[in-house]
Amino acid sequence: MQAAAIAAMAAHAILAANPPILHLPLSPLPLNHSSFHGISLSLPRQSFSLSLAAKKEPPLFVVAAATKKAVAVLKGTSNVEGVVTLTQEADGPTTVNARITGLTPGPHGFHLHQYGDTTNGCMSTGAHFNPNNLKHGAPEDEIRHAGDLGNIVANAEGVAEAIIVDSQIPLSGPNAVIGRALVVHELEDDLGKGGHELSSTTGNAGGRLACGVVGLTPV
Amino acid sequence: MPFLRSVTNTTRVAIPASALPDFSALSPSPNPKPQKLSFLYPSTSLLSSSASGLVKNLTQPPSALNMETPTSNHRPISQDNVTLPEIVTEFMVDMKCEGCVNSVKNKLQSVNGVKNVEVDLANQVVRILGSSPVKTMNEALELTGRNARLIGQGIPEDFLVSAAVAEFKGPDIFGVVRFAQVNMDLARIEANFTGFSPGIHGWSINEFGDLTEGAASTGKVFNPTNLGTEIEPLGDLGTLNVDEKGDAFFSGTIQKLRVADLIGRALVVYETEDKSDKGLTAAVIARSAGVGENYKKICTCDGTTIWESSNNDFVAGKL
Repeated sequence: MQAAAIAAMAAHAILAANPPILHLPLSPLPLNHSSFHGISLSLPRQSFSLSLAAKKEPPLFVVAAATKKAVAVLKGTSNVEGVVTLTQEADGPTTVNARITGLTPGPHGFHLHQYGDTTNGCMSTGAHFNPNNLKHGAPEDEIRHAGDLGNIVANAEGVAEAIIVDSQIPLSGPNAVIGRALVVHELEDDLGKGGHELSSTTGNAGGRLACGVVGLTPV
Repeated sequence: MPFLRSVTNTTRVAIPASALPDFSALSPSPNPKPQKLSFLYPSTSLLSSSASGLVKNLTQPPSALNMETPTSNHRPISQDNVTLPEIVTEFMVDMKCEGCVNSVKNKLQSVNGVKNVEVDLANQVVRILGSSPVKTMNEALELTGRNARLIGQGIPEDFLVSAAVAEFKGPDIFGVVRFAQVNMDLARIEANFTGFSPGIHGWSINEFGDLTEGAASTGKVFNPTNLGTEIEPLGDLGTLNVDEKGDAFFSGTIQKLRVADLIGRALVVYETEDKSDKGLTAAVIARSAGVGENYKKICTCDGTTIWESSNNDFVAGKL
């Protein structure tokens, strides 16, 4: 059985997404606040095209603390639940450590949504976090939503443990993922390649099993 | 446009556009921009796009100016003591004809504190400018017999993060706390809770939105170093009065509070007034849609429509 085979290789899926792009900050610029605050209202004097320019120039937001950490506790109405921690060193890629239990064995779509507001279910969380306005894809694709984290795979016991390393989900700056929602889906995300009507938007991953808001945690 | 003036009681300062940073790259919206409603998107020179970054510092609804509140007091001020500042609240309402538009409009305009109502029938969107709490507007919309869902709050195109929400999902205590930025120095807060023991409960914004051990892992009361004092941190919200049914409602304003600084932290409610115990319940303060930011009507993952949706529409696990 295919499902059994998938379940057998499940437990530790390591998905290395885009190769890490390391920025070397020239000097630790003074911050307007201590620690990190998601998006600050105090705008820097210079231009704000920073997310686009970040590949060429040193970032304008340099966070004094080298390591940033965040955590999301995922819950649904069923027995699906889990804890996801996110860690970022300086401006390097973010490492996502996920452990979700209570799943059906096999792959489940795992996405980050634009808002962490679940007061009106899937509607108030908005779409997949997509600051560059691209189509849905796999984490390793060039064309993807920043929030496309692919699939996590549950073993025969229904436990999915994954380590995902990704450069598009920073913990500070304008595209910070703090305060947004992580969602585990019922079905496999086809990564935009399923040929389904919904492939290019959601990966046809079915309904939501559990979700949680990414919150700040002590380093 | 008398109404516009009331939204943006703005001191005009002549500054060449070239001297201002370009903010146009700030808000990449994945959603197609909805039909623009005239009163919120003035195309006049008053709020031209290049100047909006400056203007927003000066924008202040008139009611906020009337408040005689010492700025050293960061405690939220209940609506019982002050008129709430005006903001825009956006609902999606199930309307299909001009007749429905009129009935919705008339109902909302009769609500105390509502200053103006605009309806975009094509998108089924209603935008309300005023000082009324969400709860009151929700009740009015319920009376029209139509489905309605809050979809955004804030001052349009004003702040990077204009709205935030913390949701308490039980099993005993349920509640929603909403924050909306009014201007750089003022935020509105509205809280609705059920399931508490009657009496007085302390509540606060705590520094970490870490719920791995419930309220116990949320750290201390949020106190940014440049604001507040040791005795009264910015995040100390004082107390909530819970009635004999276990319900609590609060709506008010908080000076010096920037919604963007709260994202990812926690809203905590305590058993008693004492905030040194670990807290009864906690929720992460999440990003929420500002005005015009989220017109999502159908969940493409499973086909749920906005009228069917709730905070509980998860599919059941099948293990």
